[in-house]
Amino acid sequence: MPEWGGGRTTLEMIVQELQRPVAFDETFERRVMVRVRRLHAERRSRGWVAIASRITHRPGWAAALAASVVAVVTLGLMRSRPDSARQGGAPLEPVQFVLVAPEAHSVAVVGDFNDWGLNDSALVATNHEGVWSVTAPVPAGVHRYAFLVNGKQWVADPSAPRATDDDFGMPSSALVVEDSTR
Amino acid sequence: MNRSARAVSALILAAVAFAPAHAQDPRLGNPLDAPSRVAINALIDSARAQGIPTEPLIQKMNQGVAMGVDGPRIVAAVRTLTREMATAHRALGTVATADEIQAAASAVHAGVPAVELGKIKKQSGLRRSLTLPFTVLADIVSRGVPVEAGVNAIRSLVGAGAKDTDINTFQRNVSGDIEKGAPPAAAAETRAKAVPTKPDSAKPEQL
Amino acid sequence: MESSDAELVTRVLHGEVNAYGALVSRYRDRYARYAVHMLGNREDAEEALQDAFTRAYRSLARCEEPERFGAWLFRILVNRCRTSGARRVRRGRTFVHDEAALMRASQEHPAEQTMWREEIDRALGELNADQREAFLLKYVEELGYDEMSEITGVGVSALKMRVMRACDRLRTLLREVHSA
Repeated sequence: MPEWGGGRTTLEMIVQELQRPVAFDETFERRVMVRVRRLHAERRSRGWVAIASRITHRPGWAAALAASVVAVVTLGLMRSRPDSARQGGAPLEPVQFVLVAPEAHSVAVVGDFNDWGLNDSALVATNHEGVWSVTAPVPAGVHRYAFLVNGKQWVADPSAPRATDDDFGMPSSALVVEDSTR
Repeated sequence: MNRSARAVSALILAAVAFAPAHAQDPRLGNPLDAPSRVAINALIDSARAQGIPTEPLIQKMNQGVAMGVDGPRIVAAVRTLTREMATAHRALGTVATADEIQAAASAVHAGVPAVELGKIKKQSGLRRSLTLPFTVLADIVSRGVPVEAGVNAIRSLVGAGAKDTDINTFQRNVSGDIEKGAPPAAAAETRAKAVPTKPDSAKPEQL
Repeated sequence: MESSDAELVTRVLHGEVNAYGALVSRYRDRYARYAVHMLGNREDAEEALQDAFTRAYRSLARCEEPERFGAWLFRILVNRCRTSGARRVRRGRTFVHDEAALMRASQEHPAEQTMWREEIDRALGELNADQREAFLLKYVEELGYDEMSEITGVGVSALKMRVMRACDRLRTLLREVHSA
């Protein structure tokens, strides 16, 4: 029982009312798990960035050995992820994607580098006062990509060149990632 | 070959030996109707036989699936991309990388004649890669820069030895100018002149 | 037999990401209530709770007592609500009543009950965030002061003061509305 003074009946009724159950709709759990699975996939790919950054700036044979370790690890990771078999094991470079969308509830990045988000591989962006961003390892080369806002709206990156193959009627962008190890 | 190099070679060979033998890409089992899957498989096999990169075709399929597009439309898009990459491949020749072919295909899609891309490739000399210049060419043409003006701008940038950072800046400036209302051709021509010419890339008549 | 929090946390940390869904189901409704009352609208509350679950997943390896995952998650949610509330003040949004709850109340109860609920929500919104937080944790979520101190990082005597002031304010705001 509350230990305040007079007006106990009023406050007891307040508490009784506020203690009524509140339920979110049944899609809430699904939406949380979509985010969690994306984090899970992102965490697995982030391991590749750590490997790539460790091998830079090493001279001579050590670099060659480290590069071969990357090749082995990369191939190994490709085997364990048959849904993203890449040809050639291109070096990975961290790329930051940014979208200003103050009214958005969620922003994800999907593109050639993550099989367009299929199999829960989309990159989930973090919101900082309406500026959404995510940094992820992307293989050197050319890629098409787009932002997926609120799970349904396709948005091209306003700061990037357009991808001109708009066969599907929805905008996307082009990304060219340089191989910084060369 | 010294011991270290032998060890490295052995490691790489071991990795390659354990790489899977060529088999159908498991991503081709994605949720597409059976006739579309069969058609896309055939396009990919044909592309492979012609030496055309197949990864962009698989990603085009993934893009369509992710965007909820129906199977026949995805097949049409993959077929178009295959055709454009074949055109780009023929124009650029055997020295072109997979990324250059893909970027050149996007320029072809935007309306740039493949022969112009081939000329830029021939004139690029020691430049490492034309992936970004072709990507930017496709972009500015899609924003309304006439093909001739776009090709001339990119050719002059490549000929001047412009780095990728310069070409990225050029793209941002041109797109920004066009958004502010500048005639696209004027924007491209003006901004191409802003990129500094490197002394070692000066034409012989300037020496 | 239902898995304990500790068992589920262990399974998630071993890579069984789907086991996290059981934890979400277990705590979703319990903490939805706090978030809705603290933030005053369902949309912000859902976002705060989703955010809390996501952050908890991301930091799961740092949960020192997996058997008390619920309390650890609640601490994260309380912090999320504080951040969300601060953001709302900066944006100039107002504390609005819970539409869905009002709709349910109006369906289940006479009209005067709905009005009473509106008044409660309004009064709750009149409290400052610290007082509202302390009041909800103490009387609605029925936590002890030691637990509240652990969750909020605020000392017990300061929490007691906040609760007392919240009660005084609510009593004043609502006394004239309700008559025995």
